[in-house]
Amino acid sequence: MIAAAAVVAVAAGAIGLGLWGVRLARTTSDLYVASRAITPWWNAAAISGEYLSAASFLGIAGLGMKFGASALWLPLGFAAGYLALLFFVAAPLRRFGAYTIPDFAEARLSSPHVRLVAAAVVLTIGGFYLVPQLKGAGLTIGSVAGTPYWVGVVAVAALVALTVALGGMRGVTYVQAYQYWVKTFGIALPACILLVYLGGLPERAALFGRELPKAPADGLVVELDDPQRVEFPARAAFRLDGRPMRAEAGEKRVLEGRLVLPAGTVVPVAEGTDAERGEDWARPIERSGPASPVFVYSLLLATFLGTMGLPHILVRFYTNPDGSAARRTTVRVLGLLGLFYLFPAVYAALGRALTPELYVTGQTDSVVLELPQAAWPGLGGELLAALTAAGAFAAFTSTSSGLLVSIAGTLSHDVRRVRGGGASAAGDQPVERMRRFRWAAVGGMVVPALIALSARELDISVLVGWAFALAASTFCPLFLLGIWWRGLTARGAIAGMAAGGLVASSGIVATLVADPAPTTLGALLAQPAVVSVPIAFATMIGVSLRDSERPVGTEETMLALHGPEGLGLEALRARG
Amino acid sequence: MSDGPGGPRPRSPREELAEGTPHGDVYLGRLIRAQLRLALLALGAFGGLVGSLPLLFLLWPGIEDVELFGVPLPVVVLAAPLFPLIVVIGLLYQRRADALDETFRDVVSHE
Repeated sequence: MIAAAAVVAVAAGAIGLGLWGVRLARTTSDLYVASRAITPWWNAAAISGEYLSAASFLGIAGLGMKFGASALWLPLGFAAGYLALLFFVAAPLRRFGAYTIPDFAEARLSSPHVRLVAAAVVLTIGGFYLVPQLKGAGLTIGSVAGTPYWVGVVAVAALVALTVALGGMRGVTYVQAYQYWVKTFGIALPACILLVYLGGLPERAALFGRELPKAPADGLVVELDDPQRVEFPARAAFRLDGRPMRAEAGEKRVLEGRLVLPAGTVVPVAEGTDAERGEDWARPIERSGPASPVFVYSLLLATFLGTMGLPHILVRFYTNPDGSAARRTTVRVLGLLGLFYLFPAVYAALGRALTPELYVTGQTDSVVLELPQAAWPGLGGELLAALTAAGAFAAFTSTSSGLLVSIAGTLSHDVRRVRGGGASAAGDQPVERMRRFRWAAVGGMVVPALIALSARELDISVLVGWAFALAASTFCPLFLLGIWWRGLTARGAIAGMAAGGLVASSGIVATLVADPAPTTLGALLAQPAVVSVPIAFATMIGVSLRDSERPVGTEETMLALHGPEGLGLEALRARG
Repeated sequence: MSDGPGGPRPRSPREELAEGTPHGDVYLGRLIRAQLRLALLALGAFGGLVGSLPLLFLLWPGIEDVELFGVPLPVVVLAAPLFPLIVVIGLLYQRRADALDETFRDVVSHE
């Protein structure tokens, strides 16, 4: 009940800020880039607020509980991605002054075809990223308010579409900054109190994988409403709907009903979850399996290079007044993200000891939501659970609205122009453009929401990992080569994005369809970046070198990208 | 701004840049190369530190038995100290990159 109230309070705050933003959103320029007059701290909080999604708030802790220390590479890559963005992209792209990635692609390479390909990639990445957010929304609202899965999906989809359509980006900037603090407060305060309350890190054997998770001193009761495939890591005696039963070590069973495990019994684990301990749990890397070196390096590469290619993040850099401010903003983002990412691991470690029932159901993704009440039954735990629920809610809504801004921008701006609809800017009334943006915001939410409704089984962190791999294999080479190499041509860019995107998505589709064994090849299919990124770069460079058709005005473009502000060139040109 | 007595006044770096002359391109090329060198240096520093961690963990048997405050060492290393390190690298890079831009601005406006 308290948790539901907290979620409603966060939503009301977001809507209030969004409505306040409407009054400021008078022109389309406001809608797209908030007039570029927002300070680096506001911007950094907004970027971090937009970036910290369900995968960060729930997924990292859930993966850590499931797979142990190997999950800790994920937050490292998520944060380090902003270093790559800072080194190669932030300042030049801001100076270039295009509104969206397709804008950049067309202006840099003087080709409308590149714009179309880039727009298609924006929609694909945005969709990949939006579906797991809505899925997380359905699960969280369900666990807080006891509603069916679809209610949460539809409610959050509608709320987000409304906020974006009404406020555009100006509203969203303040909403996003607010959501960052809701999320950081929501994950940090319960974590600190739990650590203090439990006397620092308690000497519980299960905590860091020294033992397998066991039922607590007063036994463990798990209600399994649906049949659940589980494996018993050790011999166990238990009751199912009151009937006494036994299982041998390594035995697989399908359980349904009220499962009662006596104190000290090693809990059975859901199929697909490893009952890891000792070296398996505490080592972040293994010679083979799901934490093999190939997979770890591929994941680090995807997150490190993929961040710069997330469409909803880049558009935010245009709200910086100049290139140097874009750099300062990015450094602040690194600090804000680093602060947040200190905490998910606490839930992963404590969850192993305090919420073993999540191993039975396989729902380790909800450990952040369940842990406070498990650790501290009563009002205190309920209050802390309300904080984490509010934070999770902020996570889906902020990331979803950021994604929807870029999806709607792409639909109303890029796709329409390429289809020949946007005759010319002169006959285009601002009112008309704003109406188009609003309709695109509502329409752009429909397809991802429908997919989320039917894709309940897909894993949050897996989908997000794929979005990063796709971005790293398409937009990352486009930016790095487009900004730093004069020789890139339109044909090269299209060929490279197509090659990288195809290789990455065939790995993803193969994993979805065939569910390969966790061998080296299986790991490569599940996280294809280490293959697809070099292929994308090689194709882009190779095709550009053979292409005789160079884009016009590359020198001017390079000056616009790299020339610092305040050179006074404009005045000279106007005079000459 | 009249031409000097000996014929047309030599053009300033700013004019060369604005008009996109070969000289202007040389100025700009120098800035781009300097910025790229800096970015690659920072990338190398970060990549060398973090990129070697998986190998280190892989090649050091028993590292998970080493404990700090009761927490296995690899967990300690990955959970906390790398985030401040990332901020420091970012901050150092940002200062140097802004300084390079400032130098370029000085060169260009020096007439």
